[in-house]
Amino acid sequence: MKRVINYYIILTFIVAASLSSCKKEYNNLNSPTVEDYLKNASQAQLDGLVSGALSGMRNNEGIYLDAVGVIGREMYRFSNADPRYVTELLGSGSTTLNNTGFYITNPWASRYRTVKNCNVLIEAATNSTLVSDAQKKGYQGFSKTLKAYELLMNLNLTYSNGIRVDVADPNNLGPILSYDASITAIGALLDEAKTDLSSATVSFTLTPGFNGFADAAGLVKFNRALAARVDVYRKQWTTALTDLGQSFYDISGDINMGVSEQFSTGSGDQLNPAYFDQNANGEVRLAHPSYVANIAAGDDRIGKASLRNSAASNNGLSSDRDVWVYHSSTAPIPIIRNEELILIYAEAKIQTNSLPEAVVALNKIRSTHNLPAYAGAVTAAALIDEMLNQRRYSLFYEGHRWIDMRRYDKLASLPIDRAGDDIWSAMPIPSTEN
Amino acid sequence: MKKLPIAIVILLTMLLPALLYAQDRTISGVITDAFSNPLPNVNVLIAQSTRGTVTDANGKFSITIPTNAKIVFSSAGFKTQTISVGSNQSTIDIKMEEDFARLDEVVVTGLSTTVKRRNLANAVGTISNKQLNGVAPAQTFDAALNGKVTGAYINANSGAPGGGLSVKLRGVTSIFGNTQPLYVVDGVYMDNSATSAGLNAVTAAAAGGNASNQDNPSSRIADLRAEDIENIEILKGASAAAIYGSRAAAGVIIITTKRGKQGKTKISFTQDLGFVKASKLLGVRQFTAETAASLSSNPAQSAALKQQFLDAQAAGKLYDYEKEVYGNTGFTRNSVLSMTGGNDKTSFYFSTSQKNEDGIVKNTGYRNTSLRLNVDHKISDNVKIGISTNYVNSSADRGLTGNDNNGVTYSISLSSTPNFIELHPDKFGVYPNNPFSASNVLQTIALSTNNEDVNRFTTGFNLDATLQKGEKSTTKFIGRGGVDFYSLVTTALFPRELQSQQVSKGTSIQGLSKSLNTNYILSLVNTFNLNDKLGFTTSAGYTQERGDFNNVLDVATQVAPGQSNVDQGGALTAQQFRNKFQNEGIFAQEEASIIDAINLTAGVRFDRSTNNGDDAKFYAYPKGGVSVNLTKLNWVSDALFNNLKLRAAYGQSANFPAFGSKFTTLVAANIIGTQGSLVNIQGGDPNIKPERQTEFEAGIDFSVLKSKLNFEITFYNKKIYDFLLLATVPPSSGFSTKFINAGDLRNQGVEIGMNAQPVSTKDIKWTSSVNFWFNRSNVTRLNIPPVILGSFGTSLGTFQIEQGKSATQFVGTDAPSHTGLVVLGNQEPKFQMNTFNEITFKNNFTLRFLIHWKYKGDNVNLTNLLNDFGGTSADYDKDDDKNGVPNGPQRIGQFLGGSARGFVENAGYLRFREIGLYYTFTKLPTRYIRGLRVGASLNNFFTITKYSGYDPEVSNFGTGFSTGIDVDPFPASKRAMFSVTVDF
Repeated sequence: MKRVINYYIILTFIVAASLSSCKKEYNNLNSPTVEDYLKNASQAQLDGLVSGALSGMRNNEGIYLDAVGVIGREMYRFSNADPRYVTELLGSGSTTLNNTGFYITNPWASRYRTVKNCNVLIEAATNSTLVSDAQKKGYQGFSKTLKAYELLMNLNLTYSNGIRVDVADPNNLGPILSYDASITAIGALLDEAKTDLSSATVSFTLTPGFNGFADAAGLVKFNRALAARVDVYRKQWTTALTDLGQSFYDISGDINMGVSEQFSTGSGDQLNPAYFDQNANGEVRLAHPSYVANIAAGDDRIGKASLRNSAASNNGLSSDRDVWVYHSSTAPIPIIRNEELILIYAEAKIQTNSLPEAVVALNKIRSTHNLPAYAGAVTAAALIDEMLNQRRYSLFYEGHRWIDMRRYDKLASLPIDRAGDDIWSAMPIPSTEN
Repeated sequence: MKKLPIAIVILLTMLLPALLYAQDRTISGVITDAFSNPLPNVNVLIAQSTRGTVTDANGKFSITIPTNAKIVFSSAGFKTQTISVGSNQSTIDIKMEEDFARLDEVVVTGLSTTVKRRNLANAVGTISNKQLNGVAPAQTFDAALNGKVTGAYINANSGAPGGGLSVKLRGVTSIFGNTQPLYVVDGVYMDNSATSAGLNAVTAAAAGGNASNQDNPSSRIADLRAEDIENIEILKGASAAAIYGSRAAAGVIIITTKRGKQGKTKISFTQDLGFVKASKLLGVRQFTAETAASLSSNPAQSAALKQQFLDAQAAGKLYDYEKEVYGNTGFTRNSVLSMTGGNDKTSFYFSTSQKNEDGIVKNTGYRNTSLRLNVDHKISDNVKIGISTNYVNSSADRGLTGNDNNGVTYSISLSSTPNFIELHPDKFGVYPNNPFSASNVLQTIALSTNNEDVNRFTTGFNLDATLQKGEKSTTKFIGRGGVDFYSLVTTALFPRELQSQQVSKGTSIQGLSKSLNTNYILSLVNTFNLNDKLGFTTSAGYTQERGDFNNVLDVATQVAPGQSNVDQGGALTAQQFRNKFQNEGIFAQEEASIIDAINLTAGVRFDRSTNNGDDAKFYAYPKGGVSVNLTKLNWVSDALFNNLKLRAAYGQSANFPAFGSKFTTLVAANIIGTQGSLVNIQGGDPNIKPERQTEFEAGIDFSVLKSKLNFEITFYNKKIYDFLLLATVPPSSGFSTKFINAGDLRNQGVEIGMNAQPVSTKDIKWTSSVNFWFNRSNVTRLNIPPVILGSFGTSLGTFQIEQGKSATQFVGTDAPSHTGLVVLGNQEPKFQMNTFNEITFKNNFTLRFLIHWKYKGDNVNLTNLLNDFGGTSADYDKDDDKNGVPNGPQRIGQFLGGSARGFVENAGYLRFREIGLYYTFTKLPTRYIRGLRVGASLNNFFTITKYSGYDPEVSNFGTGFSTGIDVDPFPASKRAMFSVTVDF
């Protein structure tokens, strides 16, 4: 009998063993992996990373625009669900910006995620044997341009607290650089990208936001436009003029010409997060009352702050005008456009003491917006004020006012709505970076 | 390939030797309790055989027995008696003795072996049907467990219809791995996932401070019908559950459903009718002209608001919207028809039931329809098969509550809605827009849908074949397994008429999931009794579990008016999630019993899983246990201790990292019709290891006062090594998180159980059990700096995993009195206690009640903050501390001043969970009716708590590590029910 038992036991284990032989490994059923792409990516895979980067650029764009807009006193953002728009961002009472606050952590992480995607794209393109060298240059030049832009967006937030530029190895991140070192690195990255693009073939498809700039030559123009913005941030006025010359700057061209982020209702796509319908309640974006108070009579840019049926109030703040810059949930958000380039031209001309040329550029903006020619003093100081004022209205809710006032050291002249409110000059580095 | 085991089973079955018994006479008798009341359903079994019968309603039985047979009489709640029948005896009457300590209860110790509780080395919790469902029935099975499991922390996530509870056995087992126990019903491993309905597309809850899904879906174990359950056993940790392998890390809940009994067919019908109401409402702020005006700082707006208030007041149109939304009384009904019966070969249990309950919010509710058929059949004296089948359809309309960043959930919308505005529809049925919120809550309730609909089939089989039977040795083959399949359809509809749909213009979110789980165990069990003093049970076998889950979620916006199909939308986004695994185990277990006093158990399971990095590698999970019954050894005198047992057990288990923890995935990020791939925010680590768990428990069980007072005292020490943490990494790396083996965690605790029969007379019987337990967790090692997780950041109070501290501590800022972070509380209760009592009077009246006390343990309550910010808190204008600053502005001021202290709140409670009073008729109107019982019951009706939110039981983040975060939940409800049961 004992032998029979043994036989059964052996049999059971044979069954067990034979079952195991039909075992299979289940791969990730839900998505591809970076490790796969780095081995030998196909062109379609590399193109997917290009689109992924363009898509990722838009993540948390709404929070970025809101945070910069609120601190720069362009607007109010009321939210039933999150009070911090009206407390910490405005420094109400003793509240301060917090290094765990969503307004820094979310945009910061999203920008670096796109940077990561660009780095993966660079590495995948470099490792690929399935694309030509010129195509590789195209992927690399494009990735570096985008990377520089994303880093600049974060540096805009953290300013004097700096950013990390070397982030290629997640386990061995480079140091957080000072503002000057960071912006210098961004400038250098754009130059590197330009070099790549000048010997490149662009074989990937870009969004309609790149219409007119979707080939290698077009991407160089886009790259130089960004470089011009970086130049004025760095006070390198003559370089700015040189870069403008290689960009799509056109003083007589359409002020809206340029490159933009696109949105659609397609599957897996995003809607414009900076769009709210007019007269919404609860979740609202309102123009700061000073926007209307200070606008010149006849300025058509009043249309960017449409009158509400009734004012909205929250925590001692109130406004009767909606922010009305993006008119639909698929409206594009500009990355950089000709209107800014004309103003950069004006700024660089003021700073290089070519005041009449600056006035011409400013008048171009004024006349476009239904204003008479500039009649103020033609001095550098007065023209800087005029230039900043035109930037304020032309680039309203595109993420510039706070940065412009900061670089001219004029934050103190922004309006304060409630006693005890503060105007911040920089966001803290997220706590998770330490 | 799959058919092979069945072929083997058939082969083995055919090889079986058939044993014949000499059948020479019939014996009959009556079984009664100590007071001569007849006992139905007592098992009468011929010792060493599989033949037997049960007593009828009058306690009578009749059985044919061979010469010199011994008969074993057993019944749940009574001590088992083995009687030798004299050769001339033809009748035998037995008085059964009650078994308060449940020492004769049979408890599962392996995948195919059991042992009597008196010999058990672990503290295995059990819940009988009476405790589960016989006091004051809860809406869902998971809710019925609440307050009943010693050593567990059970918490309802919200009051939304359809369940959703978190069950944590012996503390936090894992922070990011599975924290919920494995449920096994009649040998079938049940899926208990909670699948999101994709509400985030509307609420954007994850857009703010915490990216977790905050949809609060129900857990699928809620589909089970408590009425069908005979008994539940709870293996709380690895020391008892190691043999279940890697899925047992959070414990195993073994559920046995009712089986048929030999005898006359018995039909039973129960009808419950009742109502459900919110346990508590928070109240709303009573505005005045001045406070209405103060809602705006714009002078014109302020004047308009004042006028609006005065107009509303004059028209008598000041509303209590909270009450309108949550203050409804829901009607509940539940009908259960069951039938049992059988002959000496085949027996069955059949039940069909339907439950239909309205919620406290209009258009919410829960419906559950169930069919169950359990059949047992003896192919021969040596081969038994059992089949369990269950079909469930459950449908829950869960409403829309909880956290939200778009102002669309009922609760977030209410938080900013003052009482003087008009939300009711006009005569054309058009709802006005709510100027204070992005949605009109009454419109949302009337027009939107959030439904979970499940169709579930579960089939289990059990084959028990005696292969060999000798004087001393018996060998059985036991095969067990089954299939659990469900399809889940989630439907969330937000038509374009809604105020909140101004941008999306109608949203339809349709989720389709299918889940298939299969498992089987093949094992051989040999019992070898050398003599009366030494016995061995050897078992070994093979098990396999597979799972296949597929979820497709479509979100359509700009949906055509009145339509819900996603193809009627102007824009469509889709997501799909699939999960597949196969686990295999080989196990062997040896149990030795020495003079029925010393029991030794040792077992090991070798486990491998496709979830592992290396799917071919076997991991070994050993376990061992020893129990020594000092009374049986005669080391202690019978006079004091009727039973005294010392026991200790040890076991190991593990939790495997999820697939994504090893690789970095690319997620879909499309743009303008072009496919895009974007790196996931979670980075991969090729060196990730599973988290391993060891558990040691030791205890002493004793009975005194003629076994009328029984104690069970257990200490456990559960250690989790290399626990997985989704660590926050510097986001400049491109990743926000990454799984790491972050450190070690320890849970220590004590469980004390006492049960007693304080009164036992012919007329009054009172049995009572009292349990006390607590758990203390400690992060004994952490390789990385403290990690904040599970809530919304330090300014609002959050969990923080920190070396040397409790894993469930709450920290936060507390300016101006402190700089930096301070410990503000702890989610873990200091201790919990419960008491279950049954008082029977004259065999007619039965009063049963369950009281549950959770002493301390904090929540992070953000509901009040949101109401304060919305200016609608009931006590906004009061001034509790009389400092001249009203409560609302004062609390906002404290938060703005940088203190999170006010949000961390003691969430202890004393709750009368269940009270039931039943009357059993002894004189019955006709002979066709064999039993009649009426009853009234209250569920969660009385709660004593200082907690200021809706209910101390809450979890915005559902059933994971993070419980106790309170963000405008669906309010908890209390239930009252009237019930009639008729037996035919």
